[in-house]
Amino acid sequence: MAVTSDPASGSLRRDDGLLRRIVAHRADYAYVLPALVVMMVVIAYPIWFTIDMSFYKTPASLQLRDRTFVGWKNYETILTAPAFWSVTLNTVIWTLASTFFAFLLGLGAALSLHREFAGRAVLRAILLIPYVISAVAASYLWKWLYHSDFGVIGALSVQWGFTDKPINFLDNIHTALPSLIVVNIWREFSFAMIMLMAGLQTVPEQLLRAAQVDGANAWQRFWHVTAPHLKGVSMVTVLLLMVANFNSFIVPYLMTGGGPAGASDIWITHIYQIAFGRQNWGLASAYSVILFIVMMCLGYFYVQALTRGDKGRPE
Amino acid sequence: MSGRVDGWRWAGRVFLVLILLFTAVPMVWMLLTSIKSQFAAMQYPPQWWPKEPTLQNYTKLLDPTNPVGNDFLRYMWNSFYVSLATTVLGVAVAVPAAYAFSRFRFPGRTFLFFAVLLRNMFPAVVFLMPLFILMRWLGLVGTHGSLILTYLTFGLPLSIWLLKGFYDNIPIQLEQAARIDGATRFQAFLLIVMPLSVPGILATSIFSFIGAWNEYVYAATFLNRQDQLTLPVGIQRFFAEFATDWPGLMAATFLMSVPVVVLFLVLQRYFVRALTEGAVKS
Repeated sequence: MAVTSDPASGSLRRDDGLLRRIVAHRADYAYVLPALVVMMVVIAYPIWFTIDMSFYKTPASLQLRDRTFVGWKNYETILTAPAFWSVTLNTVIWTLASTFFAFLLGLGAALSLHREFAGRAVLRAILLIPYVISAVAASYLWKWLYHSDFGVIGALSVQWGFTDKPINFLDNIHTALPSLIVVNIWREFSFAMIMLMAGLQTVPEQLLRAAQVDGANAWQRFWHVTAPHLKGVSMVTVLLLMVANFNSFIVPYLMTGGGPAGASDIWITHIYQIAFGRQNWGLASAYSVILFIVMMCLGYFYVQALTRGDKGRPE
Repeated sequence: MSGRVDGWRWAGRVFLVLILLFTAVPMVWMLLTSIKSQFAAMQYPPQWWPKEPTLQNYTKLLDPTNPVGNDFLRYMWNSFYVSLATTVLGVAVAVPAAYAFSRFRFPGRTFLFFAVLLRNMFPAVVFLMPLFILMRWLGLVGTHGSLILTYLTFGLPLSIWLLKGFYDNIPIQLEQAARIDGATRFQAFLLIVMPLSVPGILATSIFSFIGAWNEYVYAATFLNRQDQLTLPVGIQRFFAEFATDWPGLMAATFLMSVPVVVLFLVLQRYFVRALTEGAVKS
Protein backbone atom coordinates (compact mmCIF):
# COMPACT_ATOMS: atom_id res chain seq x y z
CA MET A 1 0.00 0.00 0.00
CA ALA A 2 2.99 2.26 -0.39
CA VAL A 3 1.36 3.83 -3.41
CA THR A 4 -1.19 6.06 -1.73
CA SER A 5 0.36 9.14 -3.19
CA ASP A 6 -2.03 11.53 -1.56
CA PRO A 7 -1.24 11.87 2.13
CA ALA A 8 -4.78 13.07 2.76
CA SER A 9 -6.26 9.82 1.54
CA GLY A 10 -3.80 7.74 3.50
CA SER A 11 -5.85 8.19 6.63
CA LEU A 12 -8.96 6.73 5.04
CA ARG A 13 -9.70 3.15 5.89
CA ARG A 14 -11.74 0.52 4.10
CA ASP A 15 -14.63 0.76 6.57
CA ASP A 16 -15.14 4.45 5.98
CA GLY A 17 -18.11 3.87 3.73
CA LEU A 18 -18.24 3.93 -0.04
CA LEU A 19 -19.74 7.40 -0.36
CA ARG A 20 -17.20 8.98 1.96
CA ARG A 21 -14.38 7.31 0.08
CA ILE A 22 -15.75 8.47 -3.25
CA VAL A 23 -16.03 12.03 -1.94
CA ALA A 24 -12.54 11.87 -0.47
CA HIS A 25 -11.16 10.68 -3.80
CA ARG A 26 -13.21 13.07 -5.93
CA ALA A 27 -10.10 14.74 -7.35
CA ASP A 28 -8.87 11.36 -8.62
CA TYR A 29 -11.83 11.00 -10.91
CA ALA A 30 -10.89 14.16 -12.76
CA TYR A 31 -7.93 12.30 -14.21
CA VAL A 32 -10.02 9.40 -15.54
CA LEU A 33 -13.07 11.41 -16.49
CA PRO A 34 -12.15 12.41 -20.06
CA ALA A 35 -11.28 8.83 -20.92
CA LEU A 36 -14.45 7.53 -19.31
CA VAL A 37 -16.75 10.00 -21.02
CA VAL A 38 -15.37 9.21 -24.45
CA MET A 39 -15.54 5.49 -23.81
CA MET A 40 -19.03 5.54 -22.35
CA VAL A 41 -20.44 7.33 -25.37
CA VAL A 42 -18.77 5.14 -27.92
CA ILE A 43 -18.84 1.84 -26.02
CA ALA A 44 -21.68 1.65 -23.53
CA TYR A 45 -24.15 3.10 -25.99
CA PRO A 46 -23.36 0.64 -28.82
CA ILE A 47 -23.54 -2.34 -26.48
CA TRP A 48 -26.90 -1.25 -25.12
CA PHE A 49 -28.10 -0.48 -28.62
CA THR A 50 -27.07 -3.91 -29.91
CA ILE A 51 -28.74 -5.80 -27.08
CA ASP A 52 -31.92 -3.76 -27.49
CA MET A 53 -31.94 -4.14 -31.25
CA SER A 54 -31.53 -7.90 -31.08
CA PHE A 55 -35.17 -8.22 -29.97
CA TYR A 56 -36.57 -6.34 -32.95
CA LYS A 57 -37.24 -6.86 -36.59
CA THR A 58 -36.04 -3.82 -38.48
CA PRO A 59 -36.65 -2.45 -41.93
CA ALA A 60 -33.65 -2.24 -44.22
CA SER A 61 -33.63 1.55 -44.15
CA LEU A 62 -32.41 1.68 -40.53
CA GLN A 63 -35.35 3.96 -39.69
CA LEU A 64 -35.72 2.88 -36.09
CA ARG A 65 -39.31 4.10 -35.77
CA ASP A 66 -40.54 1.28 -37.96
CA ARG A 67 -39.11 -1.63 -36.04
CA THR A 68 -41.30 -4.33 -34.51
CA PHE A 69 -40.69 -6.27 -31.32
CA VAL A 70 -40.16 -9.98 -31.95
CA GLY A 71 -38.81 -11.25 -28.60
CA TRP A 72 -36.32 -14.10 -28.83
CA LYS A 73 -37.20 -14.88 -32.42
CA ASN A 74 -33.91 -13.58 -33.85
CA TYR A 75 -31.95 -15.85 -31.55
CA GLU A 76 -34.14 -18.77 -32.55
CA THR A 77 -33.56 -18.03 -36.23
CA ILE A 78 -29.81 -17.97 -35.76
CA LEU A 79 -29.49 -21.14 -33.72
CA THR A 80 -31.74 -23.18 -35.99
CA ALA A 81 -30.24 -22.03 -39.30
CA PRO A 82 -28.10 -24.75 -40.90
CA ALA A 83 -25.53 -22.09 -41.85
CA PHE A 84 -24.92 -21.34 -38.16
CA TRP A 85 -23.14 -24.59 -37.48
CA SER A 86 -20.97 -24.54 -40.59
CA VAL A 87 -19.98 -20.93 -39.90
CA THR A 88 -19.26 -21.81 -36.27
CA LEU A 89 -17.12 -24.76 -37.34
CA ASN A 90 -15.18 -22.48 -39.71
CA THR A 91 -14.73 -19.95 -36.91
CA VAL A 92 -13.39 -22.60 -34.54
CA ILE A 93 -11.01 -24.00 -37.16
CA TRP A 94 -9.89 -20.52 -38.16
CA THR A 95 -9.32 -19.35 -34.58
CA LEU A 96 -7.64 -22.47 -33.25
CA ALA A 97 -5.48 -23.25 -36.28
CA SER A 98 -4.28 -19.65 -36.65
CA THR A 99 -3.52 -19.39 -32.95
CA PHE A 100 -1.82 -22.77 -32.71
CA PHE A 101 0.52 -22.31 -35.67
CA ALA A 102 1.25 -18.65 -34.96
CA PHE A 103 2.20 -19.60 -31.43
CA LEU A 104 4.29 -22.56 -32.54
CA LEU A 105 6.23 -20.56 -35.15
CA GLY A 106 6.61 -17.71 -32.67
CA LEU A 107 7.99 -20.07 -30.04
CA GLY A 108 10.45 -21.59 -32.50
CA ALA A 109 11.60 -18.15 -33.62
CA ALA A 110 11.91 -16.88 -30.05
CA LEU A 111 14.01 -19.86 -28.96
CA SER A 112 16.22 -19.59 -32.05
CA LEU A 113 16.69 -15.85 -31.59
CA HIS A 114 17.31 -16.00 -27.86
CA ARG A 115 21.07 -16.51 -28.21
CA GLU A 116 23.01 -13.39 -29.25
CA PHE A 117 24.46 -13.48 -32.78
CA ALA A 118 25.40 -11.04 -35.52
CA GLY A 119 22.35 -9.75 -37.37
CA ARG A 120 19.90 -10.86 -34.68
CA ALA A 121 18.32 -7.43 -34.31
CA VAL A 122 17.95 -7.04 -38.07
CA LEU A 123 16.34 -10.45 -38.36
CA ARG A 124 13.92 -9.71 -35.57
CA ALA A 125 12.94 -6.43 -37.23
CA ILE A 126 12.30 -8.11 -40.59
CA LEU A 127 10.18 -10.81 -38.98
CA LEU A 128 8.05 -8.12 -37.32
CA ILE A 129 7.20 -6.22 -40.49
CA PRO A 130 4.15 -8.36 -41.41
CA TYR A 131 2.74 -7.63 -37.97
CA VAL A 132 3.17 -3.88 -38.42
CA ILE A 133 1.75 -3.37 -41.91
CA SER A 134 -1.99 -3.15 -42.33
CA ALA A 135 -4.20 -6.18 -42.81
CA VAL A 136 -5.40 -4.48 -45.99
CA ALA A 137 -1.87 -4.48 -47.42
CA ALA A 138 -1.37 -8.10 -46.37
CA SER A 139 -4.67 -9.13 -47.93
CA TYR A 140 -3.90 -7.57 -51.31
CA LEU A 141 -0.37 -8.89 -51.27
CA TRP A 142 -1.50 -12.46 -50.61
CA LYS A 143 -4.37 -12.20 -53.03
CA TRP A 144 -1.79 -11.52 -55.68
CA LEU A 145 0.42 -14.39 -54.50
CA TYR A 146 -2.60 -16.75 -54.66
CA HIS A 147 -3.82 -15.36 -58.00
CA SER A 148 -5.39 -18.16 -60.04
CA ASP A 149 -3.57 -17.41 -63.30
CA PHE A 150 -0.51 -15.34 -62.51
CA GLY A 151 0.06 -16.08 -58.83
CA VAL A 152 3.57 -16.95 -57.81
CA ILE A 153 2.51 -19.76 -55.45
CA GLY A 154 0.60 -21.59 -58.15
CA ALA A 155 3.47 -21.14 -60.60
CA LEU A 156 5.99 -22.45 -58.07
CA SER A 157 3.91 -25.52 -57.27
CA VAL A 158 3.83 -26.36 -60.99
CA GLN A 159 7.53 -25.60 -61.39
CA TRP A 160 8.43 -27.93 -58.53
CA GLY A 161 6.07 -30.62 -59.76
CA PHE A 162 3.49 -30.60 -56.96
CA THR A 163 0.59 -29.98 -59.32
CA ASP A 164 -0.03 -30.07 -63.07
CA LYS A 165 -1.59 -26.66 -63.28
CA PRO A 166 -1.91 -23.68 -60.91
CA ILE A 167 -4.46 -24.19 -58.14
CA ASN A 168 -7.20 -21.66 -57.70
CA PHE A 169 -6.52 -21.38 -53.98
CA LEU A 170 -9.13 -18.83 -53.00
CA ASP A 171 -11.92 -20.16 -55.19
CA ASN A 172 -11.85 -23.77 -54.06
CA ILE A 173 -13.95 -24.89 -51.09
CA HIS A 174 -11.15 -27.13 -49.82
CA THR A 175 -8.28 -24.65 -50.03
CA ALA A 176 -9.94 -21.28 -49.29
CA LEU A 177 -9.95 -21.47 -45.48
CA PRO A 178 -6.46 -23.02 -45.12
CA SER A 179 -5.09 -20.39 -47.53
CA LEU A 180 -6.51 -17.61 -45.37
CA ILE A 181 -5.12 -19.23 -42.23
CA VAL A 182 -1.64 -19.11 -43.79
CA VAL A 183 -2.03 -15.36 -44.31
CA ASN A 184 -3.11 -14.97 -40.71
CA ILE A 185 -0.12 -16.95 -39.44
CA TRP A 186 2.16 -14.84 -41.62
CA ARG A 187 0.78 -11.71 -40.02
CA GLU A 188 0.73 -12.85 -36.41
CA PHE A 189 3.51 -15.26 -35.57
CA SER A 190 5.98 -12.46 -34.83
CA PHE A 191 3.66 -11.12 -32.15
CA ALA A 192 3.98 -14.45 -30.34
CA MET A 193 7.71 -14.33 -31.02
CA ILE A 194 8.14 -10.93 -29.35
CA MET A 195 6.06 -11.90 -26.33
CA LEU A 196 7.94 -15.15 -25.86
CA MET A 197 11.35 -13.50 -26.35
CA ALA A 198 10.45 -11.19 -23.49
CA GLY A 199 9.34 -14.22 -21.50
CA LEU A 200 12.64 -16.00 -22.16
CA GLN A 201 14.50 -13.13 -20.53
CA THR A 202 12.93 -14.10 -17.22
CA VAL A 203 14.44 -17.60 -17.27
CA PRO A 204 17.39 -17.55 -14.84
CA GLU A 205 20.62 -18.46 -16.64
CA GLN A 206 22.05 -20.19 -13.55
CA LEU A 207 19.14 -22.58 -13.43
CA LEU A 208 19.78 -23.68 -17.01
CA ARG A 209 23.47 -24.11 -16.33
CA ALA A 210 22.78 -26.07 -13.17
CA ALA A 211 20.48 -28.37 -15.09
CA GLN A 212 23.19 -28.87 -17.70
CA VAL A 213 25.74 -29.76 -15.02
CA ASP A 214 23.27 -32.28 -13.66
CA GLY A 215 23.20 -33.92 -17.06
CA ALA A 216 19.86 -32.69 -18.41
CA ASN A 217 19.75 -32.69 -22.22
CA ALA A 218 18.49 -29.77 -24.28
CA TRP A 219 14.92 -31.05 -24.40
CA GLN A 220 14.83 -31.73 -20.64
CA ARG A 221 16.22 -28.27 -19.94
CA PHE A 222 13.55 -26.72 -22.11
CA TRP A 223 10.72 -28.76 -20.64
CA HIS A 224 11.69 -28.58 -16.97
CA VAL A 225 13.35 -25.16 -16.69
CA THR A 226 12.35 -22.89 -19.59
CA ALA A 227 8.74 -23.96 -20.16
CA PRO A 228 7.51 -23.35 -16.58
CA HIS A 229 8.86 -19.81 -16.78
CA LEU A 230 7.03 -19.20 -20.05
CA LYS A 231 3.67 -20.38 -18.75
CA GLY A 232 2.28 -16.98 -17.76
CA VAL A 233 3.32 -15.11 -20.87
CA SER A 234 2.19 -18.02 -23.06
CA MET A 235 -1.30 -17.88 -21.62
CA VAL A 236 -1.60 -14.16 -22.23
CA THR A 237 -0.21 -14.56 -25.75
CA VAL A 238 -2.53 -17.41 -26.68
CA LEU A 239 -5.56 -15.55 -25.36
CA LEU A 240 -4.66 -12.34 -27.19
CA LEU A 241 -4.08 -14.30 -30.40
CA MET A 242 -7.41 -16.09 -29.98
CA VAL A 243 -9.26 -12.83 -29.45
CA ALA A 244 -7.54 -11.24 -32.44
CA ASN A 245 -8.25 -14.22 -34.69
CA PHE A 246 -11.82 -14.59 -33.53
CA ASN A 247 -12.35 -10.92 -34.32
CA SER A 248 -10.41 -10.69 -37.54
CA PHE A 249 -12.44 -9.41 -40.40
CA ILE A 250 -10.27 -7.73 -43.01
CA VAL A 251 -8.35 -10.76 -44.28
CA PRO A 252 -11.36 -13.00 -44.95
CA TYR A 253 -13.53 -10.09 -46.09
CA LEU A 254 -11.07 -8.69 -48.62
CA MET A 255 -9.64 -11.99 -49.82
CA THR A 256 -12.68 -14.25 -50.24
CA GLY A 257 -15.64 -12.41 -48.75
CA GLY A 258 -16.47 -15.65 -46.93
CA GLY A 259 -16.71 -17.63 -50.15
CA PRO A 260 -16.73 -19.78 -52.12
CA ALA A 261 -20.14 -21.04 -51.01
CA GLY A 262 -19.45 -20.02 -47.42
CA ALA A 263 -16.32 -22.18 -47.22
CA SER A 264 -14.34 -19.43 -45.50
CA ASP A 265 -17.23 -17.66 -43.80
CA ILE A 266 -16.59 -16.98 -40.11
CA TRP A 267 -18.82 -15.28 -37.55
CA ILE A 268 -17.57 -11.78 -38.19
CA THR A 269 -17.88 -11.91 -41.97
CA HIS A 270 -21.25 -13.62 -41.57
CA ILE A 271 -22.53 -10.85 -39.27
CA TYR A 272 -21.29 -8.23 -41.69
CA GLN A 273 -23.08 -9.97 -44.54
CA ILE A 274 -26.36 -10.16 -42.57
CA ALA A 275 -26.13 -6.51 -41.53
CA PHE A 276 -24.78 -4.77 -44.60
CA GLY A 277 -25.60 -7.31 -47.29
CA ARG A 278 -29.07 -8.47 -46.28
CA GLN A 279 -29.73 -5.33 -44.19
CA ASN A 280 -31.26 -7.47 -41.47
CA TRP A 281 -30.11 -5.38 -38.51
CA GLY A 282 -32.08 -7.16 -35.80
CA LEU A 283 -30.68 -10.55 -36.74
CA ALA A 284 -27.16 -9.16 -37.00
CA SER A 285 -27.55 -7.61 -33.54
CA ALA A 286 -28.66 -10.91 -32.03
CA TYR A 287 -25.64 -12.55 -33.64
CA SER A 288 -23.43 -9.85 -32.14
CA VAL A 289 -24.87 -10.46 -28.69
CA ILE A 290 -24.00 -14.16 -28.94
CA LEU A 291 -20.52 -13.08 -29.99
CA PHE A 292 -20.31 -10.69 -27.01
CA ILE A 293 -21.02 -13.60 -24.69
CA VAL A 294 -18.24 -15.71 -26.19
CA MET A 295 -15.89 -12.72 -25.97
CA MET A 296 -16.75 -12.16 -22.33
CA CYS A 297 -15.77 -15.76 -21.57
CA LEU A 298 -12.44 -15.28 -23.31
CA GLY A 299 -12.13 -11.93 -21.56
CA TYR A 300 -12.63 -13.57 -18.19
CA PHE A 301 -9.70 -15.89 -18.81
CA TYR A 302 -7.64 -12.99 -20.11
CA VAL A 303 -8.17 -10.97 -16.94
CA GLN A 304 -7.41 -14.08 -14.89
CA ALA A 305 -4.16 -14.64 -16.78
CA LEU A 306 -3.15 -11.02 -16.31
CA THR A 307 -4.01 -10.66 -12.63
CA ARG A 308 -2.44 -14.00 -11.74
CA GLY A 309 0.96 -12.35 -11.96
CA ASP A 310 -0.28 -9.07 -10.52
CA LYS A 311 -0.97 -10.48 -7.06
CA GLY A 312 2.64 -11.28 -6.35
CA ARG A 313 3.68 -7.86 -7.52
CA PRO A 314 4.76 -5.43 -4.82
CA GLU A 315 2.52 -2.40 -4.92
CA MET B 1 29.63 -28.48 -25.69
CA SER B 2 28.43 -31.88 -26.85
CA GLY B 3 27.47 -32.64 -30.44
CA ARG B 4 23.83 -32.84 -29.39
CA VAL B 5 23.76 -29.23 -28.29
CA ASP B 6 25.22 -28.22 -31.63
CA GLY B 7 22.47 -30.22 -33.28
CA TRP B 8 19.85 -28.07 -31.58
CA ARG B 9 21.69 -24.94 -32.54
CA TRP B 10 21.75 -26.02 -36.17
CA ALA B 11 18.07 -26.83 -36.03
CA GLY B 12 17.51 -23.28 -34.76
CA ARG B 13 19.46 -21.81 -37.66
CA VAL B 14 17.62 -23.86 -40.25
CA PHE B 15 14.34 -22.84 -38.68
CA LEU B 16 15.32 -19.16 -38.78
CA VAL B 17 16.22 -19.40 -42.47
CA LEU B 18 12.88 -21.03 -43.25
CA ILE B 19 10.85 -18.53 -41.29
CA LEU B 20 12.80 -15.65 -42.83
CA LEU B 21 11.91 -16.99 -46.28
CA PHE B 22 8.26 -17.34 -45.26
CA THR B 23 8.24 -13.72 -44.05
CA ALA B 24 10.36 -12.07 -46.71
CA VAL B 25 9.50 -13.85 -49.98
CA PRO B 26 5.96 -12.42 -50.16
CA MET B 27 7.28 -8.91 -49.53
CA VAL B 28 10.06 -9.33 -52.09
CA TRP B 29 7.50 -10.51 -54.63
CA MET B 30 5.42 -7.43 -53.91
CA LEU B 31 8.43 -5.23 -54.68
CA LEU B 32 9.35 -7.18 -57.82
CA THR B 33 5.78 -6.95 -59.09
CA SER B 34 5.64 -3.24 -58.40
CA ILE B 35 8.54 -2.58 -60.79
CA LYS B 36 6.96 -4.50 -63.66
CA SER B 37 4.63 -3.21 -66.30
CA GLN B 38 1.06 -4.47 -66.29
CA PHE B 39 1.91 -6.64 -69.30
CA ALA B 40 5.01 -8.15 -67.70
CA ALA B 41 3.17 -8.99 -64.49
CA MET B 42 0.36 -10.87 -66.20
CA GLN B 43 2.40 -13.69 -67.69
CA TYR B 44 2.49 -17.39 -67.15
CA PRO B 45 4.97 -18.68 -66.18
CA PRO B 46 5.85 -15.47 -64.34
CA GLN B 47 8.93 -13.40 -65.04
CA TRP B 48 10.83 -14.34 -61.92
CA TRP B 49 13.04 -11.31 -62.32
CA PRO B 50 11.62 -8.26 -64.13
CA LYS B 51 13.13 -8.17 -67.63
CA GLU B 52 12.49 -4.46 -68.03
CA PRO B 53 12.25 -2.98 -64.55
CA THR B 54 10.35 0.28 -64.48
CA LEU B 55 9.47 2.84 -61.84
CA GLN B 56 6.42 4.04 -63.77
CA ASN B 57 4.01 2.69 -61.13
CA TYR B 58 5.67 4.77 -58.47
CA THR B 59 6.07 7.93 -60.53
CA LYS B 60 2.40 7.68 -61.48
CA LEU B 61 1.30 7.41 -57.84
CA LEU B 62 3.53 10.21 -56.61
CA ASP B 63 2.83 12.65 -59.44
CA PRO B 64 0.24 15.25 -58.33
CA THR B 65 -0.56 16.20 -61.92
CA ASN B 66 -1.65 12.66 -62.75
CA PRO B 67 -5.28 11.96 -61.71
CA VAL B 68 -4.34 8.67 -60.05
CA GLY B 69 -1.38 10.25 -58.31
CA ASN B 70 -3.45 13.21 -57.23
CA ASP B 71 -5.99 10.92 -55.54
CA PHE B 72 -3.33 8.73 -54.02
CA LEU B 73 -1.49 11.67 -52.45
CA ARG B 74 -4.76 13.02 -51.13
CA TYR B 75 -5.59 9.68 -49.50
CA MET B 76 -2.14 9.64 -47.98
CA TRP B 77 -2.62 13.13 -46.58
CA ASN B 78 -6.05 12.14 -45.18
CA SER B 79 -4.55 9.08 -43.51
CA PHE B 80 -1.76 11.15 -42.06
CA TYR B 81 -4.10 13.83 -40.76
CA VAL B 82 -6.55 11.39 -39.17
CA SER B 83 -3.77 9.27 -37.62
CA LEU B 84 -1.94 12.25 -36.19
CA ALA B 85 -5.08 13.82 -34.71
CA THR B 86 -6.03 10.46 -33.18
CA THR B 87 -2.59 10.04 -31.68
CA VAL B 88 -2.34 13.51 -30.16
CA LEU B 89 -5.84 13.48 -28.68
CA GLY B 90 -5.49 9.88 -27.56
CA VAL B 91 -2.31 10.55 -25.62
CA ALA B 92 -3.78 13.67 -24.06
CA VAL B 93 -6.73 11.67 -22.72
CA ALA B 94 -4.83 8.50 -21.84
CA VAL B 95 -1.99 10.07 -19.86
CA PRO B 96 -4.02 11.36 -16.90
CA ALA B 97 -6.22 8.27 -16.86
CA ALA B 98 -3.27 5.89 -16.86
CA TYR B 99 -1.58 7.92 -14.15
CA ALA B 100 -4.68 7.76 -11.99
CA PHE B 101 -5.00 4.01 -12.49
CA SER B 102 -1.36 3.57 -11.56
CA ARG B 103 -1.22 5.83 -8.51
CA PHE B 104 -4.58 6.48 -6.95
CA ARG B 105 -6.74 4.00 -5.08
CA PHE B 106 -10.20 5.41 -5.72
CA PRO B 107 -13.29 3.23 -5.35
CA GLY B 108 -14.16 1.39 -8.54
CA ARG B 109 -10.60 1.59 -9.83
CA THR B 110 -10.22 -2.13 -10.56
CA PHE B 111 -13.65 -2.40 -12.13
CA LEU B 112 -13.11 0.61 -14.37
CA PHE B 113 -9.68 -0.57 -15.34
CA PHE B 114 -10.88 -3.95 -16.53
CA ALA B 115 -13.88 -2.41 -18.21
CA VAL B 116 -11.42 -0.31 -20.17
CA LEU B 117 -9.36 -3.37 -20.98
CA LEU B 118 -12.29 -5.51 -22.09
CA ARG B 119 -13.21 -2.89 -24.62
CA ASN B 120 -10.24 -4.18 -26.58
CA MET B 121 -11.95 -7.47 -27.12
CA PHE B 122 -14.92 -6.33 -29.15
CA PRO B 123 -14.59 -6.57 -32.90
CA ALA B 124 -15.11 -3.46 -34.98
CA VAL B 125 -17.81 -4.98 -37.13
CA VAL B 126 -20.38 -5.39 -34.36
CA PHE B 127 -19.97 -1.75 -33.37
CA LEU B 128 -20.32 -0.48 -36.92
CA MET B 129 -24.06 -0.11 -37.01
CA PRO B 130 -24.64 1.54 -33.61
CA LEU B 131 -21.69 3.84 -34.16
CA PHE B 132 -22.94 4.73 -37.60
CA ILE B 133 -26.29 5.73 -36.08
CA LEU B 134 -24.49 7.62 -33.30
CA MET B 135 -22.36 9.49 -35.84
CA ARG B 136 -25.42 10.27 -37.91
CA TRP B 137 -27.04 11.70 -34.79
CA LEU B 138 -23.93 13.75 -34.00
CA GLY B 139 -23.85 14.93 -37.60
CA LEU B 140 -20.38 13.50 -38.10
CA VAL B 141 -21.05 10.99 -40.87
CA GLY B 142 -18.91 11.85 -43.86
CA THR B 143 -16.35 13.77 -41.83
CA HIS B 144 -12.92 12.86 -40.58
CA GLY B 145 -14.19 13.73 -37.10
CA SER B 146 -16.17 10.49 -37.02
CA LEU B 147 -13.02 8.48 -37.66
CA ILE B 148 -10.92 10.40 -35.15
CA LEU B 149 -13.54 9.95 -32.44
CA THR B 150 -13.88 6.25 -33.18
CA TYR B 151 -10.15 5.56 -33.40
CA LEU B 152 -9.66 7.50 -30.20
CA THR B 153 -11.88 5.13 -28.25
CA PHE B 154 -10.36 2.12 -29.90
CA GLY B 155 -6.85 3.20 -29.08
CA LEU B 156 -7.62 4.34 -25.53
CA PRO B 157 -7.78 0.99 -23.72
CA LEU B 158 -4.45 -0.10 -25.10
CA SER B 159 -2.88 3.32 -24.51
CA ILE B 160 -4.06 3.42 -20.90
CA TRP B 161 -2.86 -0.12 -20.32
CA LEU B 162 0.58 0.60 -21.80
CA LEU B 163 1.05 3.90 -19.99
CA LYS B 164 -0.05 2.43 -16.68
CA GLY B 165 2.75 -0.11 -17.03
CA PHE B 166 5.25 2.70 -17.50
CA TYR B 167 3.93 4.70 -14.55
CA ASP B 168 4.04 1.62 -12.34
CA ASN B 169 7.78 1.52 -12.96
CA ILE B 170 8.43 5.15 -11.97
CA PRO B 171 9.34 5.22 -8.25
CA ILE B 172 6.67 6.87 -6.15
CA GLN B 173 9.38 8.33 -3.91
CA LEU B 174 10.17 10.94 -6.57
CA GLU B 175 6.70 12.41 -6.26
CA GLN B 176 6.70 12.10 -2.51
CA ALA B 177 9.92 14.10 -2.40
CA ALA B 178 8.36 16.76 -4.63
CA ARG B 179 5.29 16.88 -2.40
CA ILE B 180 7.46 17.41 0.66
CA ASP B 181 9.17 20.26 -1.19
CA GLY B 182 5.76 21.89 -1.54
CA ALA B 183 4.56 20.83 -4.98
CA THR B 184 0.86 20.10 -5.40
CA ARG B 185 -0.18 16.66 -6.57
CA PHE B 186 -0.79 17.96 -10.07
CA GLN B 187 2.56 19.77 -10.16
CA ALA B 188 4.35 16.60 -9.11
CA PHE B 189 2.61 14.77 -11.93
CA LEU B 190 3.34 17.45 -14.51
CA LEU B 191 6.92 18.33 -13.59
CA ILE B 192 8.32 15.07 -12.22
CA VAL B 193 6.40 12.19 -13.73
CA MET B 194 5.64 13.50 -17.20
CA PRO B 195 9.26 14.04 -18.29
CA LEU B 196 10.15 10.56 -17.04
CA SER B 197 7.34 8.95 -18.98
CA VAL B 198 8.44 10.19 -22.40
CA PRO B 199 9.44 6.65 -23.54
CA GLY B 200 6.02 5.39 -22.53
CA ILE B 201 4.30 8.20 -24.36
CA LEU B 202 6.39 7.50 -27.46
CA ALA B 203 5.53 3.81 -27.35
CA THR B 204 1.86 4.58 -26.92
CA SER B 205 1.93 7.07 -29.76
CA ILE B 206 3.43 4.58 -32.19
CA PHE B 207 0.70 2.07 -31.45
CA SER B 208 -1.97 4.67 -31.73
CA PHE B 209 -0.63 6.02 -35.01
CA ILE B 210 -0.12 2.63 -36.62
CA GLY B 211 -3.57 1.49 -35.52
CA ALA B 212 -5.25 4.53 -37.02
CA TRP B 213 -3.16 4.41 -40.20
CA ASN B 214 -4.08 0.78 -40.84
CA GLU B 215 -7.78 0.90 -39.97
CA TYR B 216 -10.19 -0.12 -42.68
CA VAL B 217 -13.65 -1.10 -41.42
CA TYR B 218 -14.85 2.25 -40.06
CA ALA B 219 -13.14 4.25 -42.76
CA ALA B 220 -14.98 2.20 -45.36
CA THR B 221 -18.34 2.84 -43.68
CA PHE B 222 -18.27 6.39 -42.30
CA LEU B 223 -16.79 8.24 -45.25
CA ASN B 224 -18.75 8.78 -48.39
CA ARG B 225 -16.91 11.34 -50.48
CA GLN B 226 -14.15 10.19 -52.78
CA ASP B 227 -11.74 12.94 -51.73
CA GLN B 228 -12.04 12.10 -48.01
CA LEU B 229 -10.95 8.47 -48.20
CA THR B 230 -7.99 7.20 -46.24
CA LEU B 231 -5.38 4.97 -47.87
CA PRO B 232 -6.62 1.48 -46.91
CA VAL B 233 -10.02 2.29 -48.42
CA GLY B 234 -8.69 4.45 -51.23
CA ILE B 235 -6.45 1.84 -52.81
CA GLN B 236 -9.49 -0.30 -53.47
CA ARG B 237 -10.00 1.88 -56.50
CA PHE B 238 -7.32 -0.13 -58.20
CA PHE B 239 -9.77 -2.98 -58.17
CA ALA B 240 -12.87 -1.07 -59.01
CA GLU B 241 -12.01 1.32 -61.77
CA PHE B 242 -9.42 -0.47 -63.83
CA ALA B 243 -9.10 -4.13 -64.67
CA THR B 244 -7.04 -4.89 -61.59
CA ASP B 245 -3.73 -3.17 -62.10
CA TRP B 246 -1.68 -5.54 -59.95
CA PRO B 247 1.70 -3.82 -60.33
CA GLY B 248 0.04 -0.49 -59.51
CA LEU B 249 -1.72 -2.03 -56.53
CA MET B 250 1.52 -3.55 -55.26
CA ALA B 251 3.28 -0.19 -55.61
CA ALA B 252 0.44 1.53 -53.73
CA THR B 253 0.49 -1.16 -51.03
CA PHE B 254 4.22 -0.70 -50.69
CA LEU B 255 3.95 3.09 -50.39
CA MET B 256 1.14 2.70 -47.88
CA SER B 257 3.32 0.46 -45.72
CA VAL B 258 6.43 2.66 -45.82
CA PRO B 259 5.42 5.17 -43.10
CA VAL B 260 4.43 2.54 -40.53
CA VAL B 261 7.46 0.38 -41.24
CA VAL B 262 9.81 3.36 -40.96
CA LEU B 263 8.12 4.48 -37.75
CA PHE B 264 8.42 0.96 -36.41
CA LEU B 265 12.09 0.59 -37.37
CA VAL B 266 13.08 3.94 -35.86
CA LEU B 267 11.21 3.40 -32.60
CA GLN B 268 11.51 -0.38 -32.50
CA ARG B 269 12.77 -0.50 -28.94
CA TYR B 270 9.69 1.28 -27.62
CA PHE B 271 7.41 -0.75 -29.83
CA VAL B 272 8.73 -4.04 -28.47
CA ARG B 273 8.63 -2.78 -24.93
CA ALA B 274 5.07 -1.61 -25.31
CA LEU B 275 3.98 -4.89 -26.82
CA THR B 276 5.27 -6.97 -23.94
CA GLU B 277 4.52 -4.52 -21.15
CA GLY B 278 2.27 -6.03 -18.53
CA ALA B 279 2.37 -9.55 -19.94
CA VAL B 280 5.81 -10.38 -18.58
CA LYS B 281 6.56 -10.04 -14.92
CA SER B 282 10.11 -10.54 -13.83
